[in-house]
Amino acid sequence: MLALNEIRRGKGRFAAIVSALSLIVFLVLVLGALADGLFFGATGAVRNTSATGYVFASDAEGSLVRSRLPVSDVEKVAAAPGVEQAGPVGVLLTGGVGPDGPIDLAVFGIDPGGPGSPTAVEGTLPTEPGTAAVDVALRDAGVTLGSEVSVGDVSATVVGFTADSEYQLQPTLWTGVETWRSMRDAVRPELRGQTDVINSVAIVTAPDADLGAIAAAVPDTTVLTAAETGLAIPGVEQQSSTLNSIIYTTLAVAGLVVALFFALLVLEKRELFAALKALGASTGRLGRGVILQALIASALGVVIGAVVARLFDLVIPPEVPTLFRTETLLTIAVFTLVAGVVGAMFSLRRIAKIDPATAIGGAL
Amino acid sequence: MTDPANDPVLDATRSALDGPGASPADDAAGHPSALLHVNDVRKVYGSGHTEVVAVSDATMAVDEGEFVALLGPSGSGKTTLISIIGGLLAPSSGRVTVGDVDVTAMNKKELTAFRAERVGFVFQSANLVPFLTARENLLFVSSLVKGISRTQANERADQLLSELGLSARAKNLPEQLSGGERQRVAIGRALMNDPDLVLVDEPTAALDTAMGRQVVELLRREIKARGKTGIMVTHDLRMVEYTDRVFEILDGHLTHVEQPSAIGH
Repeated sequence: MLALNEIRRGKGRFAAIVSALSLIVFLVLVLGALADGLFFGATGAVRNTSATGYVFASDAEGSLVRSRLPVSDVEKVAAAPGVEQAGPVGVLLTGGVGPDGPIDLAVFGIDPGGPGSPTAVEGTLPTEPGTAAVDVALRDAGVTLGSEVSVGDVSATVVGFTADSEYQLQPTLWTGVETWRSMRDAVRPELRGQTDVINSVAIVTAPDADLGAIAAAVPDTTVLTAAETGLAIPGVEQQSSTLNSIIYTTLAVAGLVVALFFALLVLEKRELFAALKALGASTGRLGRGVILQALIASALGVVIGAVVARLFDLVIPPEVPTLFRTETLLTIAVFTLVAGVVGAMFSLRRIAKIDPATAIGGAL
Repeated sequence: MTDPANDPVLDATRSALDGPGASPADDAAGHPSALLHVNDVRKVYGSGHTEVVAVSDATMAVDEGEFVALLGPSGSGKTTLISIIGGLLAPSSGRVTVGDVDVTAMNKKELTAFRAERVGFVFQSANLVPFLTARENLLFVSSLVKGISRTQANERADQLLSELGLSARAKNLPEQLSGGERQRVAIGRALMNDPDLVLVDEPTAALDTAMGRQVVELLRREIKARGKTGIMVTHDLRMVEYTDRVFEILDGHLTHVEQPSAIGH
């Protein structure tokens, strides 16, 4: 009754705290979208496939591009304990040409439909040599089903699209190992003739598989889970942790802003609170009102901040890798509410210290 | 124009010293079944060289249905004494009982509930909740007590506002009310939870004489009509005529109990 009416009849001052929180939530949501966009854009090709893990040459430090394995390792890995399926992975970061001109490409040679293969969201996965599925990001470059995408003098016909399958923020082209190798040879003449070299082996493991045992079964290899493989991509982990620390610091600032606002509000109402305590209102009752107000202000801040962030998303240039995810929105919403409540709780001590006896008389 | 220092109307100490009334302790012995008993209450602030005795061995008794004044100049200890009676301050020693309840034996939580249920306060400046209407200010205090239904509370608030001549102002916020109206809302708030004791602290401090008289007269009427026990702290001799008895306090000592007619006229 007290808390809600104070907001209803004092909209101006609460508008101030709600605006401050909305701006903070907006900022944090955009940062979160950037963090997600960067993370998802960098890791899709290894995170969003059927593979649960990847086998690397032990000197590759988990880098697909740096790793070199003989193709014969595929069979050895397949025979290792806990491995249900294994398939070759070849990777080529290069430039290519699409219908509208040059495009960046990450070419993945895999066993289409096998381990490490994405799923097609439109059309089909490639079945014949000379065909490919490409990431939906290439639609912006004019690629449609039936388009030709070429790397050097090797071209492939697009038969399908995959989604959330980018690699290091580059759109991917998924094809068989054979076509991948022709493309590699076309732009890397020095590698021509290395017909038995692949970069990695994608695996699907049993739920209780021991990755160390798999690595031990095949000489000179290490095995990472799909998630670890994503984080091992240069810059991904550092980017995520930097952006996340900015996000959580900003949310802590939100908590401080709420703490200061309610500290001022309580200070201003000290005389009133003393009178209400004299009348029999408990510290708990007055404190709950303040926390309820903080919750309402934070919730409004989340709603307004989220709406503004979504509107802002409409004007962000498509080159900026932002991705607004509901999970991130919920996390940030929860953290904002917690920051608001924790901030308001700093006022509880202040309320507890108000002496009801000061409601009577002036001095002693 | 008289010198204020020699004006008996404004100098509460003079009549207190000259009054013919009995000592409050002797008087209390004659009221064994009183609602409020204050026994040897002493309140000391600080210790050693900085020790200040705010109330010294106060003993008094107030009957149910009585409206009395606690009269004294500023610094006399009247505020401290009424705070102890109302469960806002713990005495250094002594005992206060209201009915069969020992106020001085209660812990903080029990005192909060005691104040909500059994004491009504009227403060110097009305101290209404600025963002609640007159009616909501009354309803708020009823929400501090368990077991009062909403309908009951609404009816009681409306009845009190009507008795206090505030029906037309029920939906006004305190800032839209005059000083006298605010103080009348505060009276309604004090009576809202049907308390045993109504404690009133300098209700006329922020009002002019005419308005002050009106408010105290109304206060008396409400307290009497409901059979409540009222204690009004004041240093204003003009207001004691509305009370049944006057307890005089000076330098922390309760000195006399007077009939209002014996004071200041």
